[in-house]
Amino acid sequence: MSLAFQNLLHDRTRFLITALGVAFAVFLMIFQGSLLIGFLRAAAEIVYAADADIWITARGVNCFDFSATLDRRFREIAQGVPGVASVSRVSVAFANYRKPDGNHQTVVLVGADPNVGSRFPLPYLADSQRALEPEAIVVDETNTDGLEVYAFPTHIEINSRRAHVAGKVRGFSSFLGSPYIFTSYEDAARYSNLGPEEAVYLILRVTKDHDIASVKDQLAARLPEVDVWTQDEFGRRSKLYWISQTGAGAAILTAAVLAFLIGLVVVSQTIYATTMEHLDEFATLKALGASKRFIINVVLNQSLTCCVAGCVLGLSATIPIVAFARNVVAWIYTPWWLALAVLFPSLLMCVLASIMSIRTALSVEPARVFRV
Amino acid sequence: MSESILSVEHINVTHGVGNASMRALSDVSLSFPAGSLTLVMGPSGSGKTTLLSVLGCLLTPDDGSVFVNGRDVTVATEEERTTIRRDQLGFVFQAFRLFESLTAFDNVVISSHIAGDKGEQSRIKAQQCLDLLNMGSKKHLKPGELSGGEKQRVAIARALMRDPKILLADEPTASLDSKAGELIAGILREIAQDQHRTVVVVSHDERLRAFATDVVCLLDGKVESN
Repeated sequence: MSLAFQNLLHDRTRFLITALGVAFAVFLMIFQGSLLIGFLRAAAEIVYAADADIWITARGVNCFDFSATLDRRFREIAQGVPGVASVSRVSVAFANYRKPDGNHQTVVLVGADPNVGSRFPLPYLADSQRALEPEAIVVDETNTDGLEVYAFPTHIEINSRRAHVAGKVRGFSSFLGSPYIFTSYEDAARYSNLGPEEAVYLILRVTKDHDIASVKDQLAARLPEVDVWTQDEFGRRSKLYWISQTGAGAAILTAAVLAFLIGLVVVSQTIYATTMEHLDEFATLKALGASKRFIINVVLNQSLTCCVAGCVLGLSATIPIVAFARNVVAWIYTPWWLALAVLFPSLLMCVLASIMSIRTALSVEPARVFRV
Repeated sequence: MSESILSVEHINVTHGVGNASMRALSDVSLSFPAGSLTLVMGPSGSGKTTLLSVLGCLLTPDDGSVFVNGRDVTVATEEERTTIRRDQLGFVFQAFRLFESLTAFDNVVISSHIAGDKGEQSRIKAQQCLDLLNMGSKKHLKPGELSGGEKQRVAIARALMRDPKILLADEPTASLDSKAGELIAGILREIAQDQHRTVVVVSHDERLRAFATDVVCLLDGKVESN
């Protein structure tokens, strides 16, 4: 086995400390990455749940959650544009939810026509994807306790109007602190006092024989008072808004960068201390005729071995901790590729941490081998 | 006597700068023939270790020339001196300088690894070197498990691993008891005479005179007797 590896095994405590430093950084990077990815996913989850090609929004709407109303005539104009197969309505508004025990909670009330797509959460009547249950809502499974939904139906009030919780859905937890609740467009409009001539979003499907981009251009030309987006554009716009305008994205990114820096400092210190402790050995290697490359390999191999051990430890810790964290932060999400993606900064961290040690090892005076 | 394969001509070495400078070697000229065991003696501060550093291509003199196998190493680049150390010189140190994490066998075979040779041949050679020094049976032990004499024998085995023509030893018996010291001195003489290598030993140990073919005495950086 190599000198680098044997040196690590010889001082197991220091090896463990270094590996734990890397593991801590790996854990923090994956955790913060999971928060960021989950946050971005949640920011556009409802947009992507709709079976739509094009979204029409009021001018200047930055994200799904903060909307403005559209006049009904836009729907009629849109329907007349060649290539538009269907136009559906979606609404969103903050509302007051009165729990069974009389307590109140602010919720985000989302309403939609029944033809917005099977992934869109709505209180469909049993075995139907077309008819919606009147005065019914569905909630995300992670919000049932907070909304005091322990059975179906649970009778509640929304903006002082009668409603009942008819079911629960998965994957639509809100990061706003106010849970999403979903209902039909008609009921949502009634609960939030939306005028009969108004809509919040118009979502369009394009016929297969038409190009989405050209239909979008035609709509934009016909409707200069509103914004027209493809589904991807509006999803990205929502994500960009939350990540750039609210500071939340920056905070999560900063924490991930800090995790990298903390790991860098811990690994640098321990690798440097190991190098200083073995300075005489590096002097001996140089006296025996070891090339610079050989010495660099010894330090780098030590560092990269610590990195691999730290990554394994970090990943082992991350999987159960993220699973546990999902009970508290329901929208946290760890895609499989994130662990692979974190390997690169981890390797970079260990290589950077080695630089000072390599400089020290290379600059050691070989004639010191004669000192006792 | 054979021709010299290691020599220094009119070398000067000064340590430090300005008022703190000190002349360590002054106009020293020496030659070391093949098959000889030259004992370099002198009191502390006489320049013994500086001379060994110069001979070992670890220190470049201010003036003069150092010839290793006929080549003036004072004009060689750092990389070239590294290669000369690796391929033509063997070192034995007072403090052994073994790698504590490696076994005796790995401490010997690392000389070949340094040269980029990790083949089976280098393992066979390492075993031969250890056997030559009667350390074959302890090849799996780490330095912490060996006595001082055993450590020094492993260090000599490491020094012989690359078949150097020149072996430089710094106080090789200083850390050993008298019995182990005599054993090591005998081994060094055999290496010089039987294997026809040039061995230069720096030591305070008067007992080594009996094993040496030549004795050089240094005093205040100058050759007092040769």
